[in-house]
Amino acid sequence: MGTVVATLLNGVSYGMVLFLIASGLSLTLGLMGIVNLAHGVIFVLGGFVGLFVARATGSFLLAVLAGGIASGVAGLIIERGFLRFLYKQNLPQVLVTFGFIYILTNLMLWVCGPQPRSAFVPSYFAGSVVIAGVSFPFHRFAIMGIGIAIGAVLWWLQEKTKVGAIIRAGMDNAEMVGGLGINLTPINVGAFFFGSAIAGASCVIGVQLFGSVGFGDGMDMLLVAVAVIIVGGVGSVQGALVGALLIGIIDTFGRVYLPAISQYTMYLVLILVLVVRPSGLLGRRL
Amino acid sequence: MKMKVRKARLFQFGPAGVIALVLLTLPLYADLSIVSLFTKILIFGLLVMSLDLLVGYTGLSAFGHAAFFGIAAYTIAILIKHFGITSFWLAAPAGILMAVFAACIFGLVALRVSGIYFLLITLAMGQLVYGIVHTSVGPLGALTGGSDGLGGVSFPEIMGFSFEAETYYYFTFASFIVCALLLYWITRSPFGYGLQGIRENAIRARALGYNTWLYQYIAFIIGGLFAGIAGMLYVYYNGFISPEGVGIGASGLLWLMLIIGGTGTLWGSLLGSGVILTLQYFVSGFTPERWPLILGVCFVAVIMFYRGGLLPQLINLWNRLMER
Repeated sequence: MGTVVATLLNGVSYGMVLFLIASGLSLTLGLMGIVNLAHGVIFVLGGFVGLFVARATGSFLLAVLAGGIASGVAGLIIERGFLRFLYKQNLPQVLVTFGFIYILTNLMLWVCGPQPRSAFVPSYFAGSVVIAGVSFPFHRFAIMGIGIAIGAVLWWLQEKTKVGAIIRAGMDNAEMVGGLGINLTPINVGAFFFGSAIAGASCVIGVQLFGSVGFGDGMDMLLVAVAVIIVGGVGSVQGALVGALLIGIIDTFGRVYLPAISQYTMYLVLILVLVVRPSGLLGRRL
Repeated sequence: MKMKVRKARLFQFGPAGVIALVLLTLPLYADLSIVSLFTKILIFGLLVMSLDLLVGYTGLSAFGHAAFFGIAAYTIAILIKHFGITSFWLAAPAGILMAVFAACIFGLVALRVSGIYFLLITLAMGQLVYGIVHTSVGPLGALTGGSDGLGGVSFPEIMGFSFEAETYYYFTFASFIVCALLLYWITRSPFGYGLQGIRENAIRARALGYNTWLYQYIAFIIGGLFAGIAGMLYVYYNGFISPEGVGIGASGLLWLMLIIGGTGTLWGSLLGSGVILTLQYFVSGFTPERWPLILGVCFVAVIMFYRGGLLPQLINLWNRLMER
């Protein structure tokens, strides 16, 4: 019983990190019709910068902020410097972001060296809680709390504000939104910046769960995030949340109970959802 | 008048003939390392051609194409290493059939969606295969060797003839020519024109009575078949297959080769494979650790500025020169 509860809690906290990563990916996919394949590398970049700042200043909050800004700026450079010249050409845009996987990974390897960075757990997240006889690190609850808080803000932004209304309208029919005299460019740029920034910040936060972050994690996280948005459905905060929790919990249980197939339990879920509901569990449209 | 036509034909096919002649006589004057490089170029040329059938002719952005290549290569390596099946006539067809079988299944799932989603699903399924061969634990790990990969495959022996590096080059060359001509014939058949019609306008093709799903599905399987043949050629050539040859990195590289050569030109694939692998050959000589950076810059630069591809441009240049 104790292991089941602990695994469930681990799965939920992992799912929260996945949710944060996937929400940015889902936003740009819904708005601009493209998948930023460099999203995983941007995630790692944020983690590296954030953990460097954490070690230098000792402040977790500053680290999260620095990681987020570094990742956001990287996303901004990709969008403003490259993607906007390929306006409405979705496939080339996706391929450009694929090229940036190589560029960013290799540049970071060059600057930082190949060693993974270990987690920074601030003193106020230290300690543990005993649940059903299993000791459970407190920072996992903190991750859940931060995830829920950011998720709530994102949901409020997308569902209850004017900007959110423009975003949702842009996902359904970008041309019509333009025709109504609303300039979607700043919205797209903002989505790219914040999507990347949340990914970077979530790496600084989530690394407490993983223990360390290295270059291989970029690709892994990208693929999990892709699985999350396909399972949950593109373009809504709720979809990303449901997909992330589902994948997070199933993946964590797979690692504990079925280690032999744990590397691809997530893909089995993905394929199952695709066969039953190609637009994802809570998808807007396909 | 007749002379003029004959002359035009000579000029049209002259360069292709020269290239074929150079490739045919290569082992006579080039070093072994160059022959080995060209063997690899031919294998990847075929692999990229099979991707071109999907991307350039059918309009399916498949991003997990290296998986079929890897499935064939792994199947053959496993049969040879763990089951002692060294006969080329058993192992090679088994590997290719496994690739086709995988394409049959993956196609069923992936063709439920289209566009960028198709790209994502094929990417995920490619990584599924990567995950399977990358697993180090359990009986599967023992079979595939996990992240270490699987080696111990030597050049094949066919009908009592043992291949060496040079003779295997000819074997690859002959296989490439046969497969490339088959692919060329497919793209020029009514089926191939049907695919191009679907690429241009799927709704209109459907209205004209084409079963677009079936056309795309068959194209996907044919792509898997030729990727499998390339995987077969590769594992005998390289003697070793690792998860890196299967995953997203490998699939992305194929896209770069495809775009550099010219999407939808079929023969451009060989050109793209040649450019990238030659570049890799020289770059890995002096700065192997910066190769991914160079590759990434190539990727971005080609897509931003050079999406037409080399082959159409070379053909244009040649035609202009001949008109003078």
